[in-house]
This record gives sequence, C-alpha cells and structure tokens, in this order.
Amino acid sequence: MFFAQLKNELWKLFGKKRTYIGFGAFVVAQTAMLLMFKYTRWQGQFERLLAGNGYLASEYISALTVAVVMLVPQILLLMPLYVTLTGGDLVAKEAEDGTLRMILSRPISRVRLLLVKWVAGTIFSAVLVLALGAIALGFARLLFPWKNMFVFGELPHQIFGLFPPGEGLELYVFAHLFMTVNAIAMLSVAGMFSCFNMKPAAATILALSFLFLSMVMEHIPFFETYQNWFITYHFAAWVLVFQTPVPWPQIFQSEILLLATSATAFVIGALAFQVRDIKS
Amino acid sequence: MIQLTNVSKKFAGRIAVDDLSFRVARGEIFGLLGHNGAGKSTAIGMMLGQVWPTGGEVKICGHDVQSNRRAALMPVGAIFETPVFYDYLSGARNLEILSTYTAPTSKARIREVIEWVGLTGRAQSKVRTYSHGMRSRLALAQALLPKPELLILDEPSDGLDPEGIHEMRQTILRLQRELGLTILLSSHLLNEVEQLCTRIAVLQQGKKVFEGNVADVKSARGKVTLKTSDFANAAKVLSARGLITATEKEKYITLSEGRSIAEVTQALVAAGIAVDGIWQHEQTVEDFYLNLIKAAAKS
Repeated sequence: MFFAQLKNELWKLFGKKRTYIGFGAFVVAQTAMLLMFKYTRWQGQFERLLAGNGYLASEYISALTVAVVMLVPQILLLMPLYVTLTGGDLVAKEAEDGTLRMILSRPISRVRLLLVKWVAGTIFSAVLVLALGAIALGFARLLFPWKNMFVFGELPHQIFGLFPPGEGLELYVFAHLFMTVNAIAMLSVAGMFSCFNMKPAAATILALSFLFLSMVMEHIPFFETYQNWFITYHFAAWVLVFQTPVPWPQIFQSEILLLATSATAFVIGALAFQVRDIKS
Repeated sequence: MIQLTNVSKKFAGRIAVDDLSFRVARGEIFGLLGHNGAGKSTAIGMMLGQVWPTGGEVKICGHDVQSNRRAALMPVGAIFETPVFYDYLSGARNLEILSTYTAPTSKARIREVIEWVGLTGRAQSKVRTYSHGMRSRLALAQALLPKPELLILDEPSDGLDPEGIHEMRQTILRLQRELGLTILLSSHLLNEVEQLCTRIAVLQQGKKVFEGNVADVKSARGKVTLKTSDFANAAKVLSARGLITATEKEKYITLSEGRSIAEVTQALVAAGIAVDGIWQHEQTVEDFYLNLIKAAAKS
C-alpha cells in the first residue's frame, strides 16, 4: 500500500506543470552558460590559467571541466529555489487547495501521509539534481571533447584539481550524489515549515531565509569556530570530492549531519502536522 | 453509527462547539442545521479526525476517532462544500489516487463507481474541464469508492444550480434506498433538509438547541389553525374550558394535552362562535428553524 501511495504522490508531483519549471529553468541557464563559456573570454581565461601552470589547455578544456563550471552557480542559486518551492508545497499547497481535507477524511494517519509526501519529495530532489548533472554534461559534450577534467576555484585547501576522464566522471557522479543529500536537506526544511499552518509561499520563503541566514552567519569571522553548526557549511561537502586526496571522513561526517538535519526537520514537521486542526 | 458525547472545541479562546452530544442511528438521514459559524463544519471535522476536540468523545461505528482513526474512518465517505481535486489530472486518476488512502481498490470498482455517478465517457478528461455538477458527481464517486456504510455530506449542494440541487437530492435518496447508507447531512438549504432528513439537530453558536424528528417538527404537535371572525372571544371560551394553553398571531391555538380538534369545534359551536375553518397546523422546517433561532437568541 505504501508503494501505491508513493506512486500516486509522484503522479501528483510530476503531473503538474510547475514541477517542470525548475527543469526548464536549469536547461535555459545551462545553455546560456555553455554558450557564454564557448563564445566569450571566459574560455580564454581558463586556457591562460592552465598554460600558466604548465598544462596543455587543449587537454583540459573538456566536457567534464565545462560541466562543473556550469553547475556551480546553479547549485548556489537555482537548486535551493526549486527544491524549497517543492518542499514548501508538500503539505501547505494541499491545505490551501482543500485537497488535504479530502485526504484526511480517509483512514490514513497524518504521519504516514507526510512520510509518503516526504519520500516523493526526496525522489523529486534526486531526479532534479541528477538530471541537472546529466543535462550539464550532455550539453557540454555537444560542444567540447571528452578529455581530462580541470576543477578550479572551489576547493578549500588547493587552487585546482586535475583528473583523467574516467576518474573525473566518477568524482562528478559522487559530487551529484552528495548534492542530492543537500537537496533533500533543503526540501526537508521547507517541508517542515509547510507542515505548520501557513501558505506554501511562506514556507518556501522561510526555508530560503533560514538557509540564507545560515550561510551569512557561517561566513562571519566570529562564528568561524562554530562553522560545523551551520547547515550551509556542510552543503560544500560535494566540492571536497575534487580535492586530492579526497577527505572521505569529512565528507561523510557532513552527509550524516545533513541527513540527521533532514530527519529532525521531518520529525518537527510531523509533530506540527499531527497536532494542527485541518479546517476549510 | 455516529455518537458524539459532550464534545467541545475551542479555537484560541473562542468556543466553536460547546458540549455537543447526539447520536445518528444506522440507516437514517440526519440533518445538521445552523447558521454560518454555528459549528457544523467543526463538528464534522471532529467526526472525521481533522479537528481535535478540546473535550468529549467522538465515536464512529463504536470506534473512537482520535484513538482508533483507522477503524473509525474505514467505513466512512465524505463530501465537502466546493469539491476540489487535482485539476491537472483526469477524474479516473483522481479516484485512483484518493482510493489508496483507504484500501487497495480494483480498477473494476473505480469503473463501477464512475458508472454509478454517471461520469462514464468523461472519466479520462482532466478535472479542470469539468463543470461544477460534474465535480460534485466526482466528489460523490470518491466518497463511494471504499464502499462506505456512512456518508458525511458537508453542504453538498453548495454552489449548484437548481437542477444540480435537485439531482444531488435525488442521488442522496437513491444512496439510502439502493445502498442502505447512513447519511449525515449539513446544509443551509432548509427545504432540502425537510425533504431528505428523518431527524435533525440545530446548532447555534456551537450549542445544540434542538434535536428531534422532522415529522414532529412539521406536525408541530398541538398547534391548530383556527379561522373565525371573533378569534379573541373564541380564545377566551376555549381557555376557560381548559381546551387550549396558548394563542398566537390571532390565528393559531395550542391544544391542551389530550384535547382534540373535535372538542374545540364543539365548544365553539356551543358558545355560538362561527368556525370558518379549523385544521392541524403543519409548519415547514424553515418556520421551525427561524422560530427556534429567534427564541434561542432571545434567551
């Protein structure tokens, strides 16, 4: 029965057009960035950087390199927006539309209903992130060759990283798996707010505000020693896969903390949802 | 089938339902009447486990809704005012989705219900293309899917045109006749309640101010219409003989316990008062409701 409910929850989620706005926005943004990289001075700057460090630019300006370049701004801007939009809708949209009242006239428990919705949201987040990665790589491959990977500027303890294509692809996949965990944490925070008596837009705005506040505080020098306490600090774990050697224990610590944050958000949301009155 | 015992609900200090108790027996159509904000929807919300009571107990088929929600709501179907669905999906898909919240439901059952409500041919169309009447029929279909024994209808005719109201009324009667369902109906349409319900309860500001049979309400036991040219004198004579207890609007008399219209007629003729007409008064539920609300407001 759980899987039948999950299947139907996914029908609801993927059946509406607004779900695809996020995918559409990603495709547009990625196309724009790809064309900018190819036809502006951006590519030239990369080539000079590689040549200045003694590497052949023609060996490293590849589909994998460009895919990572295209990803970063979208991970920072578009992904949180669309994932929190979906999370904010989880319960609040159904409550606003009135369909929640119809569902809750049936013998399903609220916790079960929320769990089904949360799992569906998790699947949506994973599909969104993985599609984002696949589309970025696919588009980049259209204009750039399949060669070595060059990652620059995002690594905490080194300037850049260089990888052969096979290893680069492997790390690219790992990076997306970890980004999926980021997306799940963002969805869970928005979903938690959605369980309270508020409009879906309010839940989304609150979740984005929470993430923004966490990011700002994490970068205030006073809080430097407390960075571990901020959720956004752990969102950077995906970049660490491009560090040499890969700091797996640090990455897994961050992933566990993000999953624990998601679980906590789910429990708080479930409690709020359980005690509230559902009225027309 | 439904049993509310001393149920109360407060919202932020405001009492929405106050010490409400009533029972709905298997097979009856029970009407819940009251003005906007009287507490009807809150009471229905508590019956469906959507609103948590502040006090009291709500049982459906003997199961407490709060502590044993699954068993209590298993045999229940519900329709709310202004039926809402996932507009971007088909009617059939909506039914499939909603059925999974109760129990596994076969495609054959979904088809059967679609046919019963007369939506065959439009079941695969997106709900956004449905008229209000079709949405109401789809709402009925989703309520019937789990083969309920009890149907809770919260303002089911809200927003329907006269034809739609008539159709809904006929459907409710058909549900009781053909499927033997117990029905709790909340409605503003007093005429509808009069035609459908066997018993009613009237709520005012969260309190129950009346509960009884519609037949009793209509017969207004003891109230008689008397047409005579000298009503004041007639009333005097009848009071003196202990035949009546009250008069109203120079038109109605209320018979004393055990007295009959024949005795009244005889007394008036004996006193030389011409009787132009005398008959048992039958009031509408609307008259009854309005009088009751007025009296309750005064007290």
